Amino acid sequence: MAHHMKSKWPIFLRPVMVRSLYVLMILVWAFPVLWVILTSLKNRTEIFTLPPTIIFRPTIEHYIEALLAHDILKGIFNSLIVACGATLITLLIAVPAGYAFSRVRFPFRTRLSFFALLAQMAPPIGLIIPCFLFLSRFRMLDTYVGLIAVHMTLTVPFSIWLMITYFQDLPPSLEEAAIMDGVSLFNMFLKVALPNAWGGVGVTAIFAFIESWNEFLYAVVLTGSRTKTAPVAIFGFLAAEESRWGPFTATGVLIMAPVIMIALVAQGQIVKGMTMGATKG
Amino acid sequence: MFKGADGGKRLRPAYIRKQERFGFAMITPSMIFLFIMAAFPLIMLIVMSGFRIDLTYPAGNRWVGLGNYVEMMRDPRFRHAIQITAIYTFSTVLLQIVTGLAMAMAFLKSFRGQGILRVSVLLPMILAPVVVGLAFRTMIMTPEYGILDYLFIIVGLGSKPWLVAPNWALFSVIIIHTWQWTPFAFLVFLASLHALPPDPLEAAQLDARNAWQRFRHVILPMIRPAVVIVIIFRTMIALRAFAAIFSATGGGPGTATEILNLYTYRESFNSLNLGYGAALGTSLLVITVVISVIFFRMRQSRM
Repeated sequence: MAHHMKSKWPIFLRPVMVRSLYVLMILVWAFPVLWVILTSLKNRTEIFTLPPTIIFRPTIEHYIEALLAHDILKGIFNSLIVACGATLITLLIAVPAGYAFSRVRFPFRTRLSFFALLAQMAPPIGLIIPCFLFLSRFRMLDTYVGLIAVHMTLTVPFSIWLMITYFQDLPPSLEEAAIMDGVSLFNMFLKVALPNAWGGVGVTAIFAFIESWNEFLYAVVLTGSRTKTAPVAIFGFLAAEESRWGPFTATGVLIMAPVIMIALVAQGQIVKGMTMGATKG
Repeated sequence: MFKGADGGKRLRPAYIRKQERFGFAMITPSMIFLFIMAAFPLIMLIVMSGFRIDLTYPAGNRWVGLGNYVEMMRDPRFRHAIQITAIYTFSTVLLQIVTGLAMAMAFLKSFRGQGILRVSVLLPMILAPVVVGLAFRTMIMTPEYGILDYLFIIVGLGSKPWLVAPNWALFSVIIIHTWQWTPFAFLVFLASLHALPPDPLEAAQLDARNAWQRFRHVILPMIRPAVVIVIIFRTMIALRAFAAIFSATGGGPGTATEILNLYTYRESFNSLNLGYGAALGTSLLVITVVISVIFFRMRQSRM
């Protein structure tokens, strides 16, 4: 449809304006990220050189310092365990729920799916106060299980809703054919619906992983020296000394790297998953 | 699967019961989880708000009824936090909608190279808010050495107290949030614009006198559902904002950027005053519920 739209501007002028906006947007949104990456590769004096240098001899000293001296490696390891654990268990319980809510009839179906939506709206700061008290009572502060469980309060609700949408998109003819063959209800889910919804499961997994990987509030309250995640660790060492931009940016790049790689590989699916809920209304 | 009315009648009741059992079995794990980890804690939050729970002086912990709320009503810092939350939420959502929509309108006409644009705008949304907040605090907004401040200096606007002067700090955290999340509005609007039927647009081409009228009377009514949804999504997210502000300003200078989330956090986990923190958290819960109900009504009546 787009080609029907013509502008009042002379034809030779419009592309120029659009093209400058295009460049400007890329600069505004991608530049800060590129700047973090560039800074992480500069040596300490070069970081504070004015005017800022674009061409310089790259160094990995900050990465070595971050990984060795600041125990960032452990933070990244903890983040991996928590994010993978939370993603896996989320899928295990949210995918069947999404299937049931979209394809199976049972009493209170709408009300229960609405409950999942409400859980998503709970303010995190309100949730963490009682959770902190319980976890400390049960001696589960600073444990992987505790943080994974609390992260899942974020990931489970939206995963159920994403999976509902993906299962709804499957053609009913798939299951109609299976009914004729006398397939059991569970096998209908496992062997008919699920293999056709792997794309949706993948996108849901990506969102759950990113959510848990980036999460800060719950992690800063619930973790200590043993299970401190990378976002908490990066906050900690910059708080100690404000001018350590080198190790900070190196750690920032290490935290950003997995999600940027995921984004490069699956950008189409991520954008679709993000805008899907909104455009379907 | 068995949604057809006649299909339902043909199946035997035993089969329906089997299906119901299957449905419940499939949702039970996640529902139990959400009950234990979300519903129950929220109930406990409200219960806790009736107690004095001070971890620094546990001997004084007791039931105070509405005492925390009475204190809250007299607390100028609470009123201030509400005010900051309102300003922060309203301006970030407004800025995201206006800039997102304006940019999406500019890219109505698709062209080569849109993939790079899409990846660029996707980046901020998937970054950890704590990294975003810290990066703005250091490399972007530090006086002189921060790249934004440096740009301001070389174009002649001069160095600005981005995060150190109270009003500037509030402005800056609003800008940081808007930077990170405008791409969401942009992508949603772009998707809705590209899904519009071409006919009304062609008709509008002939009728409307200028681009603004075309936008106001033809395009905007058609994408209104998307605008409403983005407002709802972004308001709910703005009300949950924490990590980016916490890492950029820590709520400061003083309490200049202390939204209700941050005040609740400081009260609960810095002062370890969990009872009063729970009362603040409950007020946030009430605000969230009231706003969602209003949005829900709005959506139902308008669409």
